[in-house]
Amino acid sequence: MKASYFGAMGYSDRWKFPRVWPIPPAYHDSETSVRSYQEGMEECEFAEEMGFDWLSFSEHHYSGRVATGTPSVMAAAVAERCKKVKIAMLGHLLPLNNPVRIAEELAILDNLTNGRVVAGFLRGTPNEDQVYSMNPAEGRGRLLEGMDLILKALTEPQPFSWEGRYYQFRTVAVWPRPVQKPHPPVVVATRSDDTVRYAAEHQLSLAVSFLPVAQMEVITDKYRNWCQEAGWSPGPDNIVYRGSIYVGETDKQADDWFDSLMETRPGPNIPLRRTVSEAIQSARTGGDFDLRNVVAGSPDGDVVGNSLGINFVGGPDKVVKQLKEFHDRCGVGVVDLLIQQTTVDHQGVLKEIELLGKNVIPQIKEF
Amino acid sequence: MPERIFSQAVFSEGQVEAHGFSIRYWEAGQGRPVFMLDSTGWRQSLLHDALAEKYHIFSLELPGTGESPANTRSQSVAELAATAANAASALTSERYTLIGTSFGAHVALWQTLQMPDQVEALILISPTAIKPQDISADATSLEVHQLMFAHPENAQKHEPISEQIFAKERDLARRLNSGVHDSQAEARLGDIRCPTLAVFGLDDRLVSPEAARVYREYIPNSNIAIVYDAGHCIIGERPEALVNSVADYADQWETFIISRQTGLINP
Repeated sequence: MKASYFGAMGYSDRWKFPRVWPIPPAYHDSETSVRSYQEGMEECEFAEEMGFDWLSFSEHHYSGRVATGTPSVMAAAVAERCKKVKIAMLGHLLPLNNPVRIAEELAILDNLTNGRVVAGFLRGTPNEDQVYSMNPAEGRGRLLEGMDLILKALTEPQPFSWEGRYYQFRTVAVWPRPVQKPHPPVVVATRSDDTVRYAAEHQLSLAVSFLPVAQMEVITDKYRNWCQEAGWSPGPDNIVYRGSIYVGETDKQADDWFDSLMETRPGPNIPLRRTVSEAIQSARTGGDFDLRNVVAGSPDGDVVGNSLGINFVGGPDKVVKQLKEFHDRCGVGVVDLLIQQTTVDHQGVLKEIELLGKNVIPQIKEF
Repeated sequence: MPERIFSQAVFSEGQVEAHGFSIRYWEAGQGRPVFMLDSTGWRQSLLHDALAEKYHIFSLELPGTGESPANTRSQSVAELAATAANAASALTSERYTLIGTSFGAHVALWQTLQMPDQVEALILISPTAIKPQDISADATSLEVHQLMFAHPENAQKHEPISEQIFAKERDLARRLNSGVHDSQAEARLGDIRCPTLAVFGLDDRLVSPEAARVYREYIPNSNIAIVYDAGHCIIGERPEALVNSVADYADQWETFIISRQTGLINP
């Protein structure tokens, strides 16, 4: 099993943020922000030093919790400091983006890193549908078409026109070409059957985030069956799991940290006003939505959203067992770890990276 | 003349003599002439309607295809193309845009090579001249029909051609050596000087995905268009997308790459 460090680049003072999304830019302080990115890059460098195999970057908007709205920019900066690890884009939110532009960014990154890019695509969480005025009802279609367009753009050696449902480009000729041929490995981050099946049928890897192992197992079983129907077997690198982690020196220390986190009643990870959340969901699913029938709460808005939870908690050996369960039951070969919790500061993150590097990674490499 | 009613365009049927063949054709519209060499079963479509709004359309039934008698005289695709060119010359004295689909595109390619002064623009839809995929010699009409579509449900919406017509056209194709890579045509692609568009369905199972780049690389003034989520029978799966690209190219030639759509939301 390989370990990936999720380079969230969280704003250092994120613990001060209100429980809303988007986070008002008024909470931004330049000095803190500059320091936050430097700390984040230092964490990436240390993760490479401690034996992590990948560094990952993700597209999230309008929040300092994962402050990489343009992950390619972040990846390019880190890639100049970290020269050995894979640079995993996990990933670009295709419905929000121009697929040809994404293809160009991936190709440039692959050249800058001399062939170390892993490309990841996903639809995004419902809140992200609000960004760039994307119609939530079109997200799935844009994702599927976007993936096909990007793969074509990275592999077609002659200029071409694209007549899609959502994208029409009369000239596509991506330059440079990716170093990796025919293209960087591609990971599709999804839980939906149709996109899991798309990944299987196109021999693409699968990534799933933050689910308990039993739910992950259901998805990976389907993925492996569809891969078999498509005539191939996924290897360890083809199944990626992103999970939230706290590793302590001891189990007790980790449990105490977790208990203190729960005492703060952390609330939804991406809180949305209920009306907005339900409007997005109904647009995504094609269901009905009657604004006036949604029961609002206080004038501040009835806030909904999922709490991510912490997927791995414990001392090193306990965490190894938890990771092994994902490996054994789900075939996970790469685990992408979110270490930057709200209440863990920069020094705390470095400490966890060290614990993982010295005590966990050597063990999981043997899986 | 018998008339066939399409959704908007009224096509009138006629016959033209060329090289001893009596060739059926359907004609509609006004304007610059456009000749279409279509696959059997697809001579009435949204594409014909759209083009007939702006152009004078002639849709030819190539000898040996459709309901025409078996063609035992043509010995090569080039020879059949010369017959098609002869028919076109009998119908118009103007330069014309030539649009061919599948096998018709193979014929259109040779017609353009032979008559460069007559063809002012060439549009090849799912052309089979370069890198066609192997199909079993025993394949039935239904099996080939299903291979033409990316999605089975789209294949079910359309009737395959009859086994009788299929057998006749298959015999013709074999004798003309169609359905295999035409290396002579490939060697001469550089001789095509008119603006040329080659359109392929992304999921075409009858032509290699590497075919498109050959046209683009060797035909000097050419563009290739990939239609997402469509197989070989693009008109049967993404008709609006095909009409969009073909109609724009017929109108704008190589300048069709320039967007003319407004992004203005509010003045």
